[in-house]
Amino acid sequence: MITIGKLAGLTSVSNDTLRYYEAEGLIRPAGKSPAGYRLYDPDSARRIHFIKHAQQCGFTLAEIRDLLDVRSREKACCGDVRTRAIEKKLQIESKIRAMKAMSKALDQLISECANEKRPVEECTIIAALEQANGSKRV
Amino acid sequence: MFYSPGCAACEDRQSELRAAAQDAVKGLEWRDVNVLDNLDAAVELGVITLPAIVINGEVVFTSLPSRTQLCKALAERSGAGK
Repeated sequence: MITIGKLAGLTSVSNDTLRYYEAEGLIRPAGKSPAGYRLYDPDSARRIHFIKHAQQCGFTLAEIRDLLDVRSREKACCGDVRTRAIEKKLQIESKIRAMKAMSKALDQLISECANEKRPVEECTIIAALEQANGSKRV
Repeated sequence: MFYSPGCAACEDRQSELRAAAQDAVKGLEWRDVNVLDNLDAAVELGVITLPAIVINGEVVFTSLPSRTQLCKALAERSGAGK
């Protein structure tokens, strides 16, 4: 059994983050020391590495909790995890597409504002943003 | 219907839903689309969960519907429900 500090050191995660993971139901201490400190089994470090890798792939903590549930479910198969990974990829691709559209819209605004020495009241970017919002200039 | 290969629930119900849809709407064209082979099309249509059923370009179901739910949605969109 290891303390929270030791677990934090093993996984390069802060004590506060570990407590947050616990509050989110991602990890659970195996017990408490006589002095009342949380104690974790060595498998917790593996679980935390899993959480960190999943976060790097874009999974939210709620989704990671779901993945951990699948991992421990007897009847689950690789296809269950694969579908979740494909869904995450769809979400990421969708965000990339939206961000590309935003970048393109900014390109247009930037190219339309060719004279950077004009006073700000005549700034075409501000005017375009105001128009896009449907508001009138004040 | 967009699905991911290996989705056991999809395989079980795909043929049942296809038959129900084709019974409900005459001449209906049903396509089973492997999302991995058609990722761009899925993203374009707004599919972000699987399985998903798209009717006339609109994501209508983000999980497998019952036969009744599917037939109702098809009827509403084909004009037969009016």
